[in-house]
Amino acid sequence: MSKYFISLLIAVLPLLSYGQGQPVDLNPKDTVEYKQEYGLRVGADISRLVFSFIDEDYTGLELVGDYRLTQKLYLAAELGNEEKTQTEGLGNTILYNYTTSGSYLKAGVDLNTYENWFGMNNAITLGGRYAVASFSQTLNEYNIFDSNRQYSPGTFLPGSQPGTEFSGLNASWLEFVVGIKAELFANIYLGMSARLGFLVTNKEDERFPNLWIPGFNKVTDGSNFGVGFNYTISYFIPFYKKSKKKEGPTQQQE
Amino acid sequence: MRKIIPVLLIASLVLYFSSCEKDDICVDGDTPLLVIGFFDATDTTLAKEVPSLRIKEVILDDVVDTFTDRSSSLDSIGIPLRIDSNDTSFEFIMDSDDDGTTGEEIGNIDVLTISYQTREAFVSRACGFVANYDNLSITLPANSENWIQDISIVQQTVENSNNIHVKIFY
Repeated sequence: MSKYFISLLIAVLPLLSYGQGQPVDLNPKDTVEYKQEYGLRVGADISRLVFSFIDEDYTGLELVGDYRLTQKLYLAAELGNEEKTQTEGLGNTILYNYTTSGSYLKAGVDLNTYENWFGMNNAITLGGRYAVASFSQTLNEYNIFDSNRQYSPGTFLPGSQPGTEFSGLNASWLEFVVGIKAELFANIYLGMSARLGFLVTNKEDERFPNLWIPGFNKVTDGSNFGVGFNYTISYFIPFYKKSKKKEGPTQQQE
Repeated sequence: MRKIIPVLLIASLVLYFSSCEKDDICVDGDTPLLVIGFFDATDTTLAKEVPSLRIKEVILDDVVDTFTDRSSSLDSIGIPLRIDSNDTSFEFIMDSDDDGTTGEEIGNIDVLTISYQTREAFVSRACGFVANYDNLSITLPANSENWIQDISIVQQTVENSNNIHVKIFY
């Protein structure tokens, strides 16, 4: 019987086209709407966690979050706390060793410039932040730089007030952010960003300037620019769904 | 793909800015030397070289290493001050020479004690801290054999070694 099955099938094929009573609409209106998810994305910076473990002179944590406002626009913020001990030396001689410790908050917007394919939720973002940091610097130990070694052959004499803490310091800066985010699994995102900061205000002690600011990183001599980066893993909490507005009659996707 | 190019451009701009940094070499400052100028006692504007000048720090009992010892061609010198003390004493020796047989100093020795307050100042990231000196004063015990006749302090604050801080007339 199965031997004749295919022949039978071909034999009844004309019946199928007979059943096609109405003309086929080759250009149907797409009634299936793809709704995009809107909500809050929260996460943490992995690099700061990793450096906290491998670098004994550093501990830091940064929480990141963004909230989708429109198709492309996100409100974004970072909240962090960092402590870093650094040594500046000349050869084997310590010039000074200091610890910076404090918190920062960055808030601003991200603009997604990436046109996703159907069902994808990745992002290439350009963004801006305004950031503030409140911190303190402790001068753990320091030596007096003196190229004349008459009184201290082979070394520098120690400074008179080691362990001085300069507290109540603060700074604010504008930040330009370039970042990418990719959805690894459902609602789990991996992201990274590079940041260029421009220092706006910087309250420092006249005896010891701010050489490093939490969130801003190294403050360079004679320049207001600072750079930073982060690698984040974050979780998306969907709040509601909204379909993308049709931009034109030709655009059928999404 | 076209979207990625501007992002790469901006990322390279970030790297470019981060490399815009001065070298970590200390060129911005140093703990200054006290600069002393020697002048004629009668014509006080005339710089005058001290014959065979030797300066010894009293506690170390050692010759100051900042200029050629027993030089006769110097009308100004820089000498280092102790930063862990509020005064430094020096033997200023004119016509310095050793006695041929005993090896003892036969020059004219005047002992000057320089008093000051040390102030620590942060210069730059690469240099760190240096010492500056405030409220400079100099005492010379009165003695009829002194070769130094008068001392005038030009600058009470010593922050660099670029100009004369103290004038010695002889």
